[in-house]
Amino acid sequence: MTDRYFFWMALVFYVGASALTLWRLRSNRAVSALHHINVLLIVAGFLMQLVGLILRGQNLHRCPLTNPFEVTIFIVWALVLFYLLIGPSYRVSFLGAFTAPVVTLMLFASLLAASDTPHVPALKHSPWIEFHAGIGILACGAFALAFVVAAMDLVQDRQLKSHHPGPTFRLLPAVQQLDVIGVRLLMLGFGLLTVGMIGGAISDKIVGAWPWPKVAWAWATWLAYAALLAARTVGNWHGRRAAVATMAAFIFLLSAYWSMSWLAR
Amino acid sequence: MNLVIVGLNHCSAPVAVRERVAFPRAQLGAATCELLSVAPLAEVAIVSTCNRVEIYALAADAGQAALALRRYLHTYHKLTEPIDAHLYERHNRECIAHLLSVVCGLDSMVLGETEILGQVKDAYAAAQQAGATGAALNRLFQKAFAAAKHIRSTTAITRGSTSVANVAVELAEKIFRDLTQSTVMIIGTGAMSEATAKALRSRGAGTVLICGRDRDRSAALAGQLGGRAIHYDDWLVEFPMVDIAISATASPHPIVTREKLISLMKARHNRPLFLIDIGVPRDIETACDELENVYLYNMDDLQQIANENLAAREREIDVCRELIAERVARLVEWLEERYQ
Repeated sequence: MTDRYFFWMALVFYVGASALTLWRLRSNRAVSALHHINVLLIVAGFLMQLVGLILRGQNLHRCPLTNPFEVTIFIVWALVLFYLLIGPSYRVSFLGAFTAPVVTLMLFASLLAASDTPHVPALKHSPWIEFHAGIGILACGAFALAFVVAAMDLVQDRQLKSHHPGPTFRLLPAVQQLDVIGVRLLMLGFGLLTVGMIGGAISDKIVGAWPWPKVAWAWATWLAYAALLAARTVGNWHGRRAAVATMAAFIFLLSAYWSMSWLAR
Repeated sequence: MNLVIVGLNHCSAPVAVRERVAFPRAQLGAATCELLSVAPLAEVAIVSTCNRVEIYALAADAGQAALALRRYLHTYHKLTEPIDAHLYERHNRECIAHLLSVVCGLDSMVLGETEILGQVKDAYAAAQQAGATGAALNRLFQKAFAAAKHIRSTTAITRGSTSVANVAVELAEKIFRDLTQSTVMIIGTGAMSEATAKALRSRGAGTVLICGRDRDRSAALAGQLGGRAIHYDDWLVEFPMVDIAISATASPHPIVTREKLISLMKARHNRPLFLIDIGVPRDIETACDELENVYLYNMDDLQQIANENLAAREREIDVCRELIAERVARLVEWLEERYQ
């Protein structure tokens, strides 16, 4: 069985979790068992993805981060990892329900797109590069979950502003709680990104110069998130504006990465 | 053997009758024992709340048992006038269906309320401790409690608040992470603002500030709510600390304007603010709702949500009745098999 088989299996579980979310919204039923099934489906998808990544890593004899497909798969995996860590500890209701569709879309898009092509890395293999890339991907996972939390924040804010709360109103957490979690995820992601950037700078000295599009992307991402974090902490950005900015930052991160990868090819 | 219930509730009897036949909680056990000794009953349990008094019994002759229960209500409460016109009577299948409807809140004054389940549980415990229940009533009540739990968790019969004060609390809980850290301010005292503040306090709201023109009234309310009274002219000074403001003044002009609120939001670092405007004419400019992180609700908004919640509960009645019918059929089958 190839690694892609496990990625497809993961997608099946994530689709199941997304379908369950839609059903919960339509039926308007508060059944705690459904929440547990949702978490189990996401855990199953996470494990399938892990097996797929391990198999691919064994084939490549390195961390599977050699092309945009692998990077996206890894970001999705990191996103689910943070969801599994953050969700229970903060008791964020319905986080899984919002995470599942995002994960499904990203995984489905990467499996269908012709981005899984053999890629000869520009730099020779080094543990520093793997450290830099791995930490960077974890940072992206935290930013991706911040994106999900911001989407929840926007939906809840919209419902409160509408004066006619809809079916998701009771399922979603308080806007203030989502705001706090969003900031903490951004702090975590930014910390990881900074460590990854330091690793990148060290590997630059050891292995050789990084291609300029990657360096530009890394700096642009770092500056964008630094500005966002400053706005949300020191600048008192809360609520809708903060949520929109957080979502825009992640969309910028992904689109800039894919553009940069295309340029590099 | 037959199951029988004789009782009255808020639909069949006015409060003047209900209060005369209510059993004090402490006397429930003694009353069930007495009833067993004076009437031809095998098992008995008395449910007594502010909205209902019902006696559930198991007896060989349903007609005789019902008659004895009616007589007992009159003699125990020393009634001088008959209350038979207010009493209802159900046997076997209808008796079981009635209890299940009661514990699920379908027979309550506020549809879907959950307090009744605890009250029936207490009544059953009192009867059980008095040794007045046996196989039939034990099974009936335990199955009824299980049905209530299942129906509450799988339907929306208890979903959403149906009172304006509780709707406000529900909204506050979806704005603030922790109500215990929230500061509530009442500007202008009144029945509705007091009820809302009490509801917020009962859910753990931290500090309550009472701001009214009548100092004595403000101080008295502050004492009741465990809050602090402040002078009406000082509300603006304290406002940056406030998370939830309930305004109910008699002012002919808005006291909170958009311009005023913009500067206040800066002072409170743009943290979310929940404004409840109960004043007529309105105390808070509607344009305030356009500001980010400001959630403004007036009396009509809250009432509409309460009505929508009630309508949603009503839509669940049929689903609940179906679930109850399944369980009633099983209990009737069991009863017939055991006492054939």
